[in-house]
Amino acid sequence: MLKINELQASIDESKILKGLNLTINPGEVHAIMGPNGSGKSTLASVLAGREDYGIDGGTVDFNGTDLLDMDATERARAGLFLAFQYPVEIPGVSNINFMRAAVNGKREHEGLDPIKGKDFLQMVKEKAKLVELDGRLRNRSVNEGFSGGEKKRNEIFQMAMLEPKLAILDETDSGLDIDALRVVSEGVNAMRSPDRSFLVITHYQRLLDYIVPDFVHVLVDGRIVRSGGKELALELEERGYDWIKQETVA
Amino acid sequence: MMDLAKPQVMDRATQSVQHAATQERGVAFVDALDGIMGSARATYDEVLASLPVPHRRVERWKYTPVASWWNEVKSAEPMTAAEAGCEPNPIPGFDAYRLVFVNGSFDAAASDLPVHPGVICMPLSQAPVESLQSIDQHQPEQAEWFAALNGKFASEGMYLRVEKNTILDRPILIHHHSTGGGSVSFLRHDLVIEANSQVQCVQWSTASDDAVGAVNVVTRASIGENTRVSLDKVQDEAGQIKHVAFEDIRQDRGSRADVHTVTIRGQWVRNDLAFRINGEGAHAELNGIFLPLDGEFVDNHTTVDHRVAHCTSSENYKGILYGKSTGVFNGKVFVRPDAQQTNAYQQNANILASDQATMNAKPELEIYADDVKCSHGCTIGQFDNEALFYARSRGVGLEAAKAMLVHAFIGEVLQGLAVPEVRLEVEHRLAEKHQWEIWSDHPDNES
Repeated sequence: MLKINELQASIDESKILKGLNLTINPGEVHAIMGPNGSGKSTLASVLAGREDYGIDGGTVDFNGTDLLDMDATERARAGLFLAFQYPVEIPGVSNINFMRAAVNGKREHEGLDPIKGKDFLQMVKEKAKLVELDGRLRNRSVNEGFSGGEKKRNEIFQMAMLEPKLAILDETDSGLDIDALRVVSEGVNAMRSPDRSFLVITHYQRLLDYIVPDFVHVLVDGRIVRSGGKELALELEERGYDWIKQETVA
Repeated sequence: MMDLAKPQVMDRATQSVQHAATQERGVAFVDALDGIMGSARATYDEVLASLPVPHRRVERWKYTPVASWWNEVKSAEPMTAAEAGCEPNPIPGFDAYRLVFVNGSFDAAASDLPVHPGVICMPLSQAPVESLQSIDQHQPEQAEWFAALNGKFASEGMYLRVEKNTILDRPILIHHHSTGGGSVSFLRHDLVIEANSQVQCVQWSTASDDAVGAVNVVTRASIGENTRVSLDKVQDEAGQIKHVAFEDIRQDRGSRADVHTVTIRGQWVRNDLAFRINGEGAHAELNGIFLPLDGEFVDNHTTVDHRVAHCTSSENYKGILYGKSTGVFNGKVFVRPDAQQTNAYQQNANILASDQATMNAKPELEIYADDVKCSHGCTIGQFDNEALFYARSRGVGLEAAKAMLVHAFIGEVLQGLAVPEVRLEVEHRLAEKHQWEIWSDHPDNES
């Protein structure tokens, strides 16, 4: 699905990712944890195609194509999805029109005609149920005036609409109360399938109680310094990151 | 107490100096027109000579280059809409009364004049001269050279009289079409709408791809007590047309006037819109959008003159400037000493879609009353990159994402257009001009 090899990236001359390696196979759920400033969100942004970052080296293969060679739109259409840590408000663009443009972009990529209005609305209804997204929110401007929880639910709703091959969740648990966390996690779990992979970026083990990962990686100073099973997350929760940092330096 | 009959500081001043070389060009231009126009009114000669021909040192024309006006002028070929290959109704299927003008001449066969109790509507050339609104010192012809030029040469336009308590059943569409090379079209619309009436007008300007020349329009509207008048103005002129337009709107007590100015296309456009609010409880609404592409110039000057107490005005102009285009916005709001309890709002927001585009924006509020609420805001910015990235990360193409943001940006002004058919056609034409596919992509549009 995804093969990252020695990826180096920087922003404004400062190096953030310093040779990152990661392989995700179809159907797997990987979690990336790490202290603040270790490069977690940079990784998400670089993979999604944010142009503020410079790629200084390395390769990223996404289902046999060079991911770094595609722009953000092409990556999304090829099946990559990023759930934003801070979903963007777009006043004046209704959520539903926004998604229709997105769905039709993907369909165009697949050589399909634009979706019919009726089919689209049916699809919206189904997918919104998954994350208990209020009908009112569908017609409001994208994320405008949404609560923190509503924004994150909207991210998962969008993910469900676009049915990506690889979904990156960038600190989706931040700003969520327990109920919202449950709803969002259930939405994600309902989408788990043998041919869909997830990369879950989080600070806290808590999210991983709900979305149980196959692998946990620890990112420190732009590199993955340790990988393990889901029990590694529990160990981090208990011991913090310092012991790993020290072992890495040593 | 201020004597309103006397020109005040806030009246359009004519103190600006004349610029000798420009003045000469203007005079030569008038002479050339004199030679080819069928009619001319000598009564305007004196005011024409006294006014400065616009140049950069006249404050109101500082950002508005007029040099291209002095190109050679030719007499207009008399032509019907059919001969010009122009669809009389620019909005397919739009159910409206219609006055069609081609190169400044009325085309009776293409028109469909209102037949309605209480309404007199005819081409200006057929109207009795003595019934026209009297010339007074506040009208644009007394202050602006281009308007005085219109006063001298305009012989055609719409003459409209609406008796009190009349609700016109359909909008009146005035369609002007320019075609061919080098002529200047003058139109003058004279509207008097009496009390308790309702009228919707649409002014639509088009031009053929090969059109070269100029259009000069003056619209005077006198709006009676508790009367509601809207004017949706759409400028969609191909070719190389210079378009200057003056609207002189006078409002009586409790009236409401809406003017929406949409510039879809135009090589050189100057709109000069003035509201004089003479009666308490009146509301003026003026909104506009302009989206010039590379090489286009669009200028909107507005004046709202609050002369009496308890009135409101609301103004919202939005511009998106592409390529090497230039925009101008100047919004003047006067609140005279007697205009207490005025509530005036002005907003002008602009997006520079290219780093080579230029926008000159200037709010001008002159407030002489102390118990008023006046607010204004003016911004010049760029596309929201975060929003663009967000949309792209969902698989929306960059251009489609920009179109989406544009639609959102100008949406509130589009929604405010008085006539829904006009809004739909404007959206359609904007999408066509800018090659936006996403534009009409709305689930509600499908059955």
